[in-house]
Amino acid sequence: MKRLVSLILAAGLAASSAAAAPPPPAAAPVASIDPRVKFKDGERYLRDLSDGLGVPRESICKEMSQYDCFSDAFRIVLGGVEGPNLLVNSPLEQAPLTAPIAVDRVALHACTARVDLDVATPAQARLLKGGGRGAPGAAWKQATTLRIYDAVLRRAPTADETRRLVAFYDEVAQGRPARSPEVKRDWVILGCFAAASSLEAIFY
Amino acid sequence: MNGNWSRRGFLRSAGVGGALMAAGGLTPAQAAEQQRERAKNPRFLIVLSAFGGANLVDSFLSVRETESRNGQVVNAYPDSLVQTLGDFRAIDLQSKRIGAIPASFTANQSNFVKAHGRDMMVVTHTGTSVNHFVAQMRSINGNAAWKGRTLQEATALTYGAGYPIPNVHLVNGTGFTEWGSDTSLPLYAYGERAPTPNLWPLSLDGYKGVKGAPARDLFERARKLRNEQIDPNSAFFGTFGQSERIRHWNTLRGESLRGVEASDLITKLMLFPDSPAMPLAAHGLSGSALGQKVRDAFPNYDFDPLESQAALAFLLLRYGVSVTVTLGPDGGAVFKKGVSLGSGEGLGEGGLVNTPISFDFSHQANREVQALMWDRVLRTADRLITLLKSEEFQDGESFWDHSMIYVATEFGRTRRRPSGAMTFGSGHDLNNGSLIISPFVNGGRVLGGVDPDTLLTYGFDPETGRPELGRNMTEPEIYSGIAHALGIDTPGAGLPDMRAMRRRA
Repeated sequence: MKRLVSLILAAGLAASSAAAAPPPPAAAPVASIDPRVKFKDGERYLRDLSDGLGVPRESICKEMSQYDCFSDAFRIVLGGVEGPNLLVNSPLEQAPLTAPIAVDRVALHACTARVDLDVATPAQARLLKGGGRGAPGAAWKQATTLRIYDAVLRRAPTADETRRLVAFYDEVAQGRPARSPEVKRDWVILGCFAAASSLEAIFY
Repeated sequence: MNGNWSRRGFLRSAGVGGALMAAGGLTPAQAAEQQRERAKNPRFLIVLSAFGGANLVDSFLSVRETESRNGQVVNAYPDSLVQTLGDFRAIDLQSKRIGAIPASFTANQSNFVKAHGRDMMVVTHTGTSVNHFVAQMRSINGNAAWKGRTLQEATALTYGAGYPIPNVHLVNGTGFTEWGSDTSLPLYAYGERAPTPNLWPLSLDGYKGVKGAPARDLFERARKLRNEQIDPNSAFFGTFGQSERIRHWNTLRGESLRGVEASDLITKLMLFPDSPAMPLAAHGLSGSALGQKVRDAFPNYDFDPLESQAALAFLLLRYGVSVTVTLGPDGGAVFKKGVSLGSGEGLGEGGLVNTPISFDFSHQANREVQALMWDRVLRTADRLITLLKSEEFQDGESFWDHSMIYVATEFGRTRRRPSGAMTFGSGHDLNNGSLIISPFVNGGRVLGGVDPDTLLTYGFDPETGRPELGRNMTEPEIYSGIAHALGIDTPGAGLPDMRAMRRRA
């Protein structure tokens, strides 16, 4: 929590000084000459999301409100094994066609569950916090972006990443009442979803 | 986004490019046109795997005791149990036990022959391995007969272009669903796992049925943001973006994902009706329009793995999702719904639906297990055929008119038995044969034969089908016969012409 607060403060300071002196662009990443990554199997992925979003593992993703997304629904598709009944003793070597769809589904479930908790118990909110009754300002969007990245990817967003997600708010709000709490809710869920289903969240 | 990031381009090159190589030297335009034409008039391959050795001398090639000079010590049956129906034999067996297990059952083979004998063809062959997994793989790749590609992959390659998921594997953990060793094929030709048929349709749409999610169009915008801005500009991608796994992932996220979701397969393939177990309506979903029909055919779909596989297999073909499906009993015992063990009274009639390790439980009780498991496989095939016959494909032709069921198995079982024994165990034997059911095959025929004294099968002339004592058909020959009956071109493969296996031989 301390880390989150300090990150928010840092983001606020950065935002306030942005007009005077834009931060220098981050150095371009160096491409690995041997880029080997591992796919987080579904259980690891769900535990990471559970930990980051503060939603209990057993309730973070339920299909039909009752079947666990990993152990009941997408275990093999998401790289798990199940020896006793399915005789699948090792993870699939290549992600199947349905894996990205299942990951999107799991991420959407998890982010919706988190934001629903935020709405139900604002005092314990993790992502959707404050913002007042009117249309939210830039500072709130930036702080929320920071909260999303911190919870899902365990790092602060870059300036470009913040700019992109903040700009996405306008897409979500398009054609809808500016004061609608639904707009904020939808933006937070979808911002969380985009981060939680990103390559960085899925592979390690 | 830079030029290297184009998933569409990657898919195109991975897909069509590979297909061209496989098609054997056609220009890209010619190959694409050929694929489109083939996809309009497909042939469907259903691999019904028979794990553990479905033995032909316990079914359609059975021999009467009085026909054999060794009738008491080889696996010849009492004369009264063996029926002759055209070219085929059949065993209908009732028993109160399966070896040491008190489990009463009634098994029937003759009904299937009477109903589908015209489309049945039995071919003899001798395999090259009695290792389960190896022999399973060889039953579908013909012991690497054609660059190592499986029959399912060859079918998907020939007819599957444009189908959302051409090749679906419903049974797991077996060599029957192992990918072939030909890595040059387009991605769509390889088998897609559908490990839990009842819930698998939920993995065919990333959005539908997620309660409380924002509107779909906003969800799609979030995907676009992720795909086009967040991911390609991330430091993670900059460092690891050329990883094979990430490239593959991005390929899947592209057109193939959109094709699957656009087909609304989450609805079409949903076996369940709205119910407390699957509250579809409460989650904005609904069951398949053909759900009731498949549930009537496979009423135990909700607990019997084979029935759920078969139900989904039908829907995959019927809705134009796939051109080949692989299903079959797996290694687990299945009991009738409501049956529990431990009462001390044994299992009542039909209480055991699937023996542990399926046909391979013949190690304990050959005849009982073969009878029960053949009955199970044939019932499944019968219901699938009935469903496929009931649905029109095009121009008055049914789906069955375009289909083949290949009952794939690893090997046969050893033929010896203690003198006069009805219950005995058997081992693995290379010598056996296969059952193939299709309007495309030389139906109503046994190709090859069985020596009544040894109960070993012998082969046939590939051109005429005439039995040839002393000849054993090989795995590549059977592979070739199946592939050619399916209308699959095999340029440059050097496969033999097995005209005898085709209906219009």
